[in-house]
Order: sequence, then structure tokens, then C-alpha cells
Amino acid sequence: MSLERKDEHDHKGWMKKRDLSPIETVYLTALIWLDKRLRVVDYLEILEDLYYKVNMQMPKSHTEQYNLDNKFWYWYPLYALGSFSTVAYIVAAISGALLGFYYAPAAAAADGSPTVAYDSVLIIMGQLNLGYFLRSVHRWAAQIMVAAVFLHMLRVYFTGAYKEPRELNWLIGIVLISLTLVFGYTGYLLPWSQLSYWAGQIGVEMSLSIPLIGEWVAQLMFGGFTLSQATLQRMYILHVFFLPFITTAVIAVHIGIVWMQGIAEPH
Amino acid sequence: MSDNDTDTESENVRTDGSGGGIVAPDDETPTWSERKTRTEGLSRLTYEYFERARREDQDLRQESDYVERDVLAFPAWPHEMMRNLALTSFFVGMILFVSAALPPEMPNPANSSVTPAIILPDWYLYWSFGLLKLGPLNPDLSILGGSKLMADRTYGVLANVVVVGFVAIVPFLNKGSARRPVEQPFWAAVGMSGVIFSLTIAALSIKNLLPMDSNLLFDLTFLLPFVSATITYAVLKTMREGYMFDLNRRYYRLRPPK
Repeated sequence: MSLERKDEHDHKGWMKKRDLSPIETVYLTALIWLDKRLRVVDYLEILEDLYYKVNMQMPKSHTEQYNLDNKFWYWYPLYALGSFSTVAYIVAAISGALLGFYYAPAAAAADGSPTVAYDSVLIIMGQLNLGYFLRSVHRWAAQIMVAAVFLHMLRVYFTGAYKEPRELNWLIGIVLISLTLVFGYTGYLLPWSQLSYWAGQIGVEMSLSIPLIGEWVAQLMFGGFTLSQATLQRMYILHVFFLPFITTAVIAVHIGIVWMQGIAEPH
Repeated sequence: MSDNDTDTESENVRTDGSGGGIVAPDDETPTWSERKTRTEGLSRLTYEYFERARREDQDLRQESDYVERDVLAFPAWPHEMMRNLALTSFFVGMILFVSAALPPEMPNPANSSVTPAIILPDWYLYWSFGLLKLGPLNPDLSILGGSKLMADRTYGVLANVVVVGFVAIVPFLNKGSARRPVEQPFWAAVGMSGVIFSLTIAALSIKNLLPMDSNLLFDLTFLLPFVSATITYAVLKTMREGYMFDLNRRYYRLRPPK
């Protein structure tokens, strides 16, 4: 009785023990010889793998298990809205960085004469090669991002994806949607056109009407109780410095949590 | 290794099967490959050799410090990445196409002495702008001698806070594992009324552009959400009846009611 483990890899010994016919011996010798040199077994393994892949049934997917495939396939395109808004955000960031080379937030008069800010936008639109296209891309990316974010919120609501354990991400999402709107609003004021000016007026009046802290908010956001150069400068620095950093960080956290928790499948 | 020390060793059996009570393999014990032997010609032989060779590779792999993980997932590269690139480039292309086709216009420069006929923020702030126009809902308190507790504008700003606050606490109100609208008709109806309300309140904010009596518009702003919520609720309830009927039928086929 030997305690030695058998050498499972001793193919010669194995063949001797098997008491093979000459044909089998020749065949096996050839096979082993080839396998030593060409790793025939690997290809056989691939074939076997293929066989099982073709003939095996995958375990039932979530959808099949709960018989949902006829019930919610129409949600699927809506699951891309989150990434779509991220893509739009990146496009807006790139085009905005390029626009920043040409835009100047200065001399915010409101007497109907073109200001420096307004003129710089005019130059982008009229003089700069493909400038109109650049501004257009920036604007449309912003519009599309806002739309996608809203629709994303609706998708999350109607598929119940905000439920445990994802409440925190829902709240972060609300912060993000607010940041997106503020982003849009600050950008809206930058050309210092009529639309910008009067939207700014409404903003100032809204912040002034907040109970208790209204005046402080107006000072903080608009640099005073009326629109002036300070307003334009604040909007500019919010739009190109504060909001990008904050929003990018919050988006990263949002996506990181989704990554960690996984997509909420409807069931 | 005889049978008489199995009792003493049976207490320190380890999880990998070594330790007491396990008889060491000897010459009589068929090896794993021997168990599988059948005698059916060359294909059988090939199969056996194949198994042996695989076993050999397996052993060699286990001796090395190379770790193989069983990842049962869609591979990130190239499949996932290709999918993402395709989608991303499609979306970016769409943005570029739209922006090339429809460049923005340039309104007049700012002029504080000319109030434009239409003062509007961007479209996505219409709902918030509309909430500022809820003055008629600001109650006159008889305690204060018919005056209002707060200015209409303050009321509107607070309405914004209330709306956002409600959206924020939804996950803490709606507990449970139901996810699809069919499973939770009430919350689906709430969501639907919210969507419709955001549209109607946006319409209210641009009421001077709409060819419509503004009082009627104001009433519809609050009526339509209720109507849509009711319809949604009814439809989903009906759908759920069918859904539950199906489930029950399947269930009772399995075990008929007593």
C-alpha cells in the first residue's frame, strides 16, 4: 500500500495500464505527440465549450422569471436618459470652455446700447469662424441636458427606482436638477440681451421676496438689489467656476452610487 | 493510515476534506479519471485523454499563483464599451446636427427703460415662473382684517419650495417593494398629476401668449391634474385586475382553493 499520490500526468503509464489495441496505441501516441506540440486539447476544449454554449439554457433572466418582457420593454430606451444627460453635460462643458476664449463679461449697462458682453457674443456669432455653431452647440447641449434630466427624473419616478436603498441618490438627483436649472439660468443672463436682463429682474425680485433672508440672497447671487455689472460678474463666475466644479463632483457621486448599487430593475 | 485512528481524528476534520475520517487513496481506490472510463473506441479514448490533459492543466494552474476569477457578466471590453461608444456618438451627433440646423438668435441688448411685452425665462423654468402667479390662491385672513399673511410673490417662492420639497420626500412616503405603475396605481396617479400640473402651470406662466380666457386657464391648471390622476388611477386599477386575475389563475391551477 503506497501513500504516494498517483502521478495523474503520467500518460505513458496510463496507456500501459489500459491494455490498448495497436490501433488505439498508435492513435493515442499520435494524439499525445500532437497535443504536446500544438495544444490540440485547447481546441477540443473550445469545441466543447462551444457545444455547451449552443446547447445550454441560460438561467432565466429577471425579466423571464417574473414574466415581464411583455410589460416593460418600452421602458428600456428611457434607461439611457441618465447617460444622455451626462453626455450633453460633457458636450456643453467642452463647447463652453471654447466659448470662454471669446466671451467677456464686462460693462453691463442697461440703456439699450450694446455692452462689451453683448458685443463679444455678437463677435462670436458673426465674426468668429464657426462661432455661431459653437454657441449653438453650447445652447442646444444645455437645453437637451435639462430636458434629459427632467425625463430621467420621470423615468426614475415611474419605475420606482428611487425606493430603498436609493433614497439618498434621489435626493442627490434633486440637488443635481436644481444645479442644472441654476446653470441654465446663469448662462441665460450672460449675453446681457433684453431677455437676459428681464429674466434677471425676475430673479432679483424673487430672491428679494424670500422671507427673512431675501436681501442677503439677492446680495449674494445678484450683487445688489438692482441689476448691474456686479450681477453679470457674479453670474459669470457662478457659471464658469463654481457650478462646473460643484456639479461635476455631484454628478460623479451620483453615478458612483448608481455604479455601486446597480441599476434598479423593475420587477 | 489504518481505520482505527479515524475516531480520534474525526474531530479535526477540515473543510477541505483533509483530516480525520478520510481514507487516503491507495492502489485500489479508483482515481477520478478511472471512474469515468468506458470502452467505446477512439472517441472515448480521445475524451479520456482530453479529460486527463485538462486535469493536468488545472493542477498546473493551481500550483501557480495565478488567480482565475469566475466573472459571470457581460464583458466591459469590448462589448459594453462598444455599446456605450455607439450610443454616445449617436447622441453627440444628434446634438451637433440640431445645433447646426437651428442656431440661436440674438435679441436686442439690455434696456431697462423698455419693458418687453413678454418676459420669460428659458422654457424649463416656466413651471417655477408659473408658481409665482398663484396670487389668487393666497388666502385673505380675516384675523388680519382681510389682509394677506404674505405678499403674493413670497407666496409664489414658497410654492416653489413646497413643490420641490414634496418631490424630495416621495421616497420616504412611498415604501414597499412595488415598482411598476401597475403595482402602485395611487403613486403612478400622483406622478401623472405632477407631470400634468407642471405642464399646466407652465401654460399659466405664458398665459398672455395663449388665446384663452385666463380665468379658465387658471381653473384648468388645477383641474386637469386631478382629471389625469383619476384617469390614470382607473386605467391602472383595471390593468391590475387583469394582472392579478392572471396571477391568481396560475396560482389556483397549482393549488385549487378548498
